[in-house]
Amino acid sequence: MAARRALKAVLVDLNGTLHVEDSAVPGAQEALKRLRSAPVTIRFVTNTTKESKRDLLERLTRLGFDIAENEIFTSLTAARNLLEQKHVRPLLLVDDKALPDFTGIGTDDPNAVVVGLAPEHFHYEMMNRAFRLILDGAPLIAIHKARYFKKKDGLSLGPGPFVTGLEYATDTKATVVGKPEKTFFLEALRGTGCAPEEAVMIGDDCRDDVGGAQDAGMRGILVRTGKYRPADEDKINPAPYLTCESFPEAVEHILKSML
Amino acid sequence: MAGWARAVRGLLLDVSGVLYDSGADGGVPIAGSAEAVRRIKASGLKLRLCTNETQATRENFVKKLQGMGFDVSVSEVTAPAPAACHILKERGLRPHLLVHDDLVPEFAEIDKTNPNCVVLGDAAENFTYANLNEAFRVLIGMEKPVLISLGRGRYYKETDGLKLDVGAYMKALEYACDVQAEVVGKPSKRFFESALAEMGVLAEQAIMIGDDIVNDVGGAQQCGMRALQVRTGKYRPSDENHPDVKPDAYVNNLAEAVDIILQQM
Repeated sequence: MAARRALKAVLVDLNGTLHVEDSAVPGAQEALKRLRSAPVTIRFVTNTTKESKRDLLERLTRLGFDIAENEIFTSLTAARNLLEQKHVRPLLLVDDKALPDFTGIGTDDPNAVVVGLAPEHFHYEMMNRAFRLILDGAPLIAIHKARYFKKKDGLSLGPGPFVTGLEYATDTKATVVGKPEKTFFLEALRGTGCAPEEAVMIGDDCRDDVGGAQDAGMRGILVRTGKYRPADEDKINPAPYLTCESFPEAVEHILKSML
Repeated sequence: MAGWARAVRGLLLDVSGVLYDSGADGGVPIAGSAEAVRRIKASGLKLRLCTNETQATRENFVKKLQGMGFDVSVSEVTAPAPAACHILKERGLRPHLLVHDDLVPEFAEIDKTNPNCVVLGDAAENFTYANLNEAFRVLIGMEKPVLISLGRGRYYKETDGLKLDVGAYMKALEYACDVQAEVVGKPSKRFFESALAEMGVLAEQAIMIGDDIVNDVGGAQQCGMRALQVRTGKYRPSDENHPDVKPDAYVNNLAEAVDIILQQM
């Protein structure tokens, strides 16, 4: 087997991996403590369009996890980083609850458009505002392009269709920053000083967590909790580096075999 | 001189961006266009308004144009809603309509109960999240979703700026449902051919004049017609170098086109 670079960073998905809705995965808090004894940088990563880092931190702390806010990286963070790199001022079509993650970024006289899941902003007037900015050269940044999602009263349109409509009208392509895009994983690692080859991603979504991470050059560990369904590991190529029961088993493997 | 202007028997005119610019106030006629229409009719050339406008019935649409000084009548208009009704009746389709309120009367004769397809028009303010979601739910609930789009334009010009056209929302629903829409209206061949048939002119004898380089000009050329791009309406300088469409000529406006054509007669 070819020599592997030493493991220096571990990315951990949140919902479905560390916890499932409002219950922690059994043994996960203890497993995290053990992982912290290793010489690795840890990042907690998730796609979200309406939970600020503060909200996520609150929930994780309530569930007994010892986590610092700056260890959390979300698709909103990825969008923010991109805005800062490009030095642009966004028109934010995002849920109000997501706004705290954009504090400090100027929004007057916008020259960029950020689209998250924000039905209250997807009316004709606002869409036209976004359209005109993009037609005039403003970059279009999509938190993700989900087609639809499940609500109590049925399926509902996600941000994807609106992003697609804007792309068509302006003949441009959005930069999508959420999982499974490469950008997401590379941005999550930025600031850790680690290359993808020195990192592993632990998650329950075979395509978006493990597939996306491996496409970015990382190794991926698929856990059988959350949205995992039997034979998910057969759906990506190459297959996950490892498939195991849950987060605690993934941590054991890392401590035993990857350092 | 202008070779493209020879042997013409009929003109197809796009309306928005060629005759007038639409707007909340009803719209503003484009300089020289009303006079140009009069000259076309006086010359003996056949005239057809070939429009994708779906924010009003043909009657009200023509009334508006007449109010602006255009000498036109309903019998000279080829528009998407009647063409769509044909298709709905042909195929036993009952539509869920997501269209401008003022277009609904065009569908008065159509059975809209228990819909088995969605018809999408230029709904403007009716393009709310709730309305789009409703249309989406009708489609996603069908085994084989049928989405009929009245045109596929990207945007159009109104007096207060450029606005998203039906095409953007067609693409949104196509993406959401993983389905391909059927387009009724420009640039569909069937639409142009029906306009020519209604006019009684062959493609080789006709010229289309429009402001949308893809849907007016490109679409018409694909039917064997000549087509001119005007520099009014939604025209943008980047249209002078379109990667796919080469208009037979660029003209500043309808008046200039008619000057050149009548000179050749």
